[in-house]
Amino acid sequence: MNDLQQQYRLEEVRKVFGRHQIALDGIDLNVQRGEKLALIGPSGAGKTTLFRLLNCTLRPTTGKLWLDDCDVESLHGKRLRAMRRQIGTIYQQHNLVQRLKVVHNVLAGQLGRWSTPRSLMSLAKPADLGLAHKALEQVGIADKIFERTDELSGGQQQRVAIARVLVQDPEVILADEPVSSVDPTLASTIVRLLIDISESTRKTLIVSLHSVDLALAYFPRVIGISHGSITFDLSPDKISEAMLEGLYAGNDREQPATEAVNEPASPIAYPSIS
Amino acid sequence: MNQPVPSLIHRSPKTLFPYLFTALFLLAFIDSWRRAGIEPMVLFAAKGRGNVWKFLSGMFPPDLSWNFLSLMFRPTLETIQISFLGTLIAVIIGFPLGLLGTHTLMVRGILNEAELQGVPVRRSLRYAIYFLARGVLSLFRSIPEFVWAFMFVRAVGLGPFPGVLAIGVAYGGMLGKVYSEIFEGVNDRPLEALQSLGANKLQIFFYGWFPQALPNFVSYTLYRWECAVRASAILGLVGAGGLGQQIEISMRMFNFNEVLTLLMILFLMVAGVDYLSARVRAML
Ligand SMILES: Nc1ncnc2c1ncn2[C@@H]1O[C@H](COP(=O)(O)OP(=O)(O)O)[C@@H](O)[C@H]1O
Ligand SMILES: [Mg+2]
Repeated sequence: MNDLQQQYRLEEVRKVFGRHQIALDGIDLNVQRGEKLALIGPSGAGKTTLFRLLNCTLRPTTGKLWLDDCDVESLHGKRLRAMRRQIGTIYQQHNLVQRLKVVHNVLAGQLGRWSTPRSLMSLAKPADLGLAHKALEQVGIADKIFERTDELSGGQQQRVAIARVLVQDPEVILADEPVSSVDPTLASTIVRLLIDISESTRKTLIVSLHSVDLALAYFPRVIGISHGSITFDLSPDKISEAMLEGLYAGNDREQPATEAVNEPASPIAYPSIS
Repeated sequence: MNQPVPSLIHRSPKTLFPYLFTALFLLAFIDSWRRAGIEPMVLFAAKGRGNVWKFLSGMFPPDLSWNFLSLMFRPTLETIQISFLGTLIAVIIGFPLGLLGTHTLMVRGILNEAELQGVPVRRSLRYAIYFLARGVLSLFRSIPEFVWAFMFVRAVGLGPFPGVLAIGVAYGGMLGKVYSEIFEGVNDRPLEALQSLGANKLQIFFYGWFPQALPNFVSYTLYRWECAVRASAILGLVGAGGLGQQIEISMRMFNFNEVLTLLMILFLMVAGVDYLSARVRAML
């Protein structure tokens, strides 16, 4: 095994809330550096909880989680924050500070590198306008830089969140249902944008998706999760309709995006990164 | 399957609470009414009526002579100064204590899960600081401001300074408590996101917490300033300067027309602060 290539290793990871609320029930997972994978599964399956473990917001109740060959259990304070800086997360929604200008939300990606006084001063006068501008240009909304974030549409806000990750420049990008609050066309645009970023900078990319079709169309590795356990971990051509049926058994399967996959490029163009 | 659901809900002990609460409230109301000796009719009885009339008619017309007004200029300014400085000190006391007394910042919730899980010493320390901050805030605000003023007059002598200190401490306790509640009420999703990219607690505070809390923070602080204008009138009674001292003197001399003038000045100041506060809030 080439350990340098290993991004995540999870062994028998369980997360129990309170006494009985089992959110994750024994997850084993290996993720290589630069890999792109999608998580699918019904709501309540434990996807968000898994992301919170992967970005060190929560710790496993039992089991082991290694990140870059470092056991996260041993991390506290400064070293924990240094590790978090290497992981950029994009959330479903509501993850930006609505009352701040776009530029501050984007530059927040620098907080892990900035001292506290420096970050405070940046609120008065943006410390690195060029960087913010470049990141917003990459996601195609450079003209919104000085607008207040709550004046942007849902799709635009998601681009701001991606620009923040670009500024953060982490090793890993996690995206927890990044497109379930935008329309299908925009959804595939944003997913492709994430894949583009991951490929051009060799970042590990883990995305959970509401839409099975998006996952199967764009990702070389797809993991199905239900009831806190992994039910399959395969490349899309090996995933059968029966497996998907089983994954969503007893749940409504979200199916809005069938036509979106075949859609031509979105009207909003984005320059890719190189 | 469909039918027993409501009855189940009614049987659960949790839903008894509203009834219990209502009963307790009614009991407390009836009991307080009796014990406080509330008899509305006394207000309208012959003796009461006479006194009320004497007081009210003595007030009119208010004393608007230049002679009196020019004498009141300094105390008015003094009241504004007392309330302003007092509120400023209250913010300086209440802000850090309010932060340390914020549950979601110090001990619980998504921002403390990873940091405090499996480190009991750190957790206990955090709880200790948290309870200490809440305790100090409770102490500061449970002692009425005029008692604080009374003590500070003994300590630093008569004049506006003890008034400033009294408002600073008592209002610091109130502001701190409300600040912590405002901070606890913000949406924690953006905070989680900031934490996940490696920001420390202070950075999370200034980028996530404070911007969200700002409108409530400002409007409650300005409301407290308005209260401080009024409170400084009471503090005057124990010798802490300002308009209050003038009201006390005029009352003692039965110069009710002067009292009315002073109350009008007070009203104008409160209305002025209110106006200012509305303007500031509209700006945010
Ligand atoms: N903070 C929490 N406290 C208690 N239970 C939780 C918490 N977070 C998630 N859960 C529970 O864990 C399970 C998995 O939730 P989640 O990870 O959000 O699933 P998904 O993202 O796949 O919809 C659900 O049953 C949910 O109710
Ligand atoms: Mg979720």
